[in-house]
Amino acid sequence: MTRPLIEARDISKRFGALQALADVDLDIREGEVLALVGDNGAGKSTLVKILSGAHAPSGGDLVMDGKPVEFASPQDSAAAGIATIFQELALSENLSIAENVFLGRELTQRVLGIPFLRHKAMKRRVGELLKELDAHISDPEVPVGSLSGGQRQAVAISRALNLNARLVIMDEPTAALAVAETRKVLQLIRNLADSGRAVILVSHNMHDVFEVGDRIAVFRRGRKIADKMRTETTPEEIVSFITGAHPDVRALEMQS
Amino acid sequence: MSNPLDWFGRREALLAVACLAAVLLFSFLSPYFFNAENLSAVLSNSVELLLVGLGMTLLLGVGGIDVSVGVAMGLAAIAVGRLLQAGVTPAVAGLAGPVAGLLIGVGTGSVVVFGRIPAIVATLGLYGVYRAGIYLCLGGDWLSGLPIGLTELVGTGIAGVPLAFPIVALTYLALYVALRRTPFGPHLLAIGDSEAKARLSGVSVNRTQLLAFIISGGLTGLAASFYVATYRNVEMTIGGTLALEAIAAVVLGGTSVIGGRVSLIGTVLGVLLLRLLQNGLLLSGVPSLWQTVVTGLLLLFVLGIEAVQGRLSLTMLMRSKSGRLASRVAQ
Repeated sequence: MTRPLIEARDISKRFGALQALADVDLDIREGEVLALVGDNGAGKSTLVKILSGAHAPSGGDLVMDGKPVEFASPQDSAAAGIATIFQELALSENLSIAENVFLGRELTQRVLGIPFLRHKAMKRRVGELLKELDAHISDPEVPVGSLSGGQRQAVAISRALNLNARLVIMDEPTAALAVAETRKVLQLIRNLADSGRAVILVSHNMHDVFEVGDRIAVFRRGRKIADKMRTETTPEEIVSFITGAHPDVRALEMQS
Repeated sequence: MSNPLDWFGRREALLAVACLAAVLLFSFLSPYFFNAENLSAVLSNSVELLLVGLGMTLLLGVGGIDVSVGVAMGLAAIAVGRLLQAGVTPAVAGLAGPVAGLLIGVGTGSVVVFGRIPAIVATLGLYGVYRAGIYLCLGGDWLSGLPIGLTELVGTGIAGVPLAFPIVALTYLALYVALRRTPFGPHLLAIGDSEAKARLSGVSVNRTQLLAFIISGGLTGLAASFYVATYRNVEMTIGGTLALEAIAAVVLGGTSVIGGRVSLIGTVLGVLLLRLLQNGLLLSGVPSLWQTVVTGLLLLFVLGIEAVQGRLSLTMLMRSKSGRLASRVAQ
């Protein structure tokens, strides 16, 4: 088995008296979709925020490519190749797809010190990205405000790819989508992993998790209580882990 | 720019028709309206408002506003006037306007951006400060009967074309290029749509907002030079209605009053319509007092229409722009 892209070792996070994460170990591999599941407040979001540089862990280490890393800010995390796509997409509706994909990192060419936009180069690059994702969006100049929810996810993913992300974290990407759109986004996630990126999918939806996840990690009360290959488990078992009905969880929680 | 009509959309076409309709109407109402002399007077009366309005377009586009542009122009005009009085070459005195304006723009922008004060509140406060500055500088007297040098320089212009034409045209072109051909454009619009999202995308929000205030300041100072050249005096109440007129013209032109959508050509047409109406009403015998009423009503009318169309609502203003605006960008 290849070395993990990112290893979380003994990661903990306290908010005052609240133990949001306790001693979490987690590996993330390239080419793999890792689904994070668990009830609200189980610690998934806290872990995602630590990976994306929004929170610093209270304890433990992050190791990337075998070397310890520290993310002081979302910029640090992005520079390391981690792109986080939040549920509330950070897209500007009044800008075009291409402008959104390149926002804040436009390709420019300086003439007399003035940075002129390289419209054609950016349009071409966005066209390639959309094609790579098989997103069925033909014109990168269309404003994002006119796109459907699924297409917007595709734009957000294109933006992540354009930043050369090696790990793409998606927080509930299908929560607000219709059935057909959901299928499309799950396909996008699969394409991302097949192209060699690591993907973390945070989701409440067992169907999505089992359709696209390679591995499923269950969180409960700040701990990782299960980490299973999809082929070795069932939706029923995962749900019993989440709710605490599973015998292993009961045993664990009796001890403490 | 997939759509070639993008820069000249429905709003712009409507305004152009409104301008033509105003010309037709007033030609019937007054025998003094439709002649070369009066129409060129309308144009030359539009110069200051055009320059200030183009600056205001950027400010509204980025989600800001500046209600102190009138008094800022007053301060810059005093600088130009005093230099003329001191016998400085007209060209140098003329340049002092934009220089003073840039400095005021840096000041106003810094208060808004680094003070983290909402632009409407900050510039309302600065309005009071700048107005007091005008009183202090003028000490109760008008600057009047200023040397004619600058007036001649501006009037003669280049090869007989008044200087205002190339300067307004160059300003328009420069802003068009900045918005369409440099990252300033998408950054400005992204911030106008949602400051938080723009920041998350790595847009340098402070720099872009500050730049918009500095450009607006420079253009306001340029307007001051034209003001002094035209009237050869600086009165106590200078610029009293300029901010209202500029905001009205810009919003009339299709730029969003809460940001995220700009139209430079719309601003030009908005200024023209406003000046045509003011001139036409005056020639038709309506007292000049009613000019500001007409301006104010036009502003309310446009905002009312946009509210009905759902492009703008009070809740949106409160929630600091949820970004559900119509998405067309026109310049």
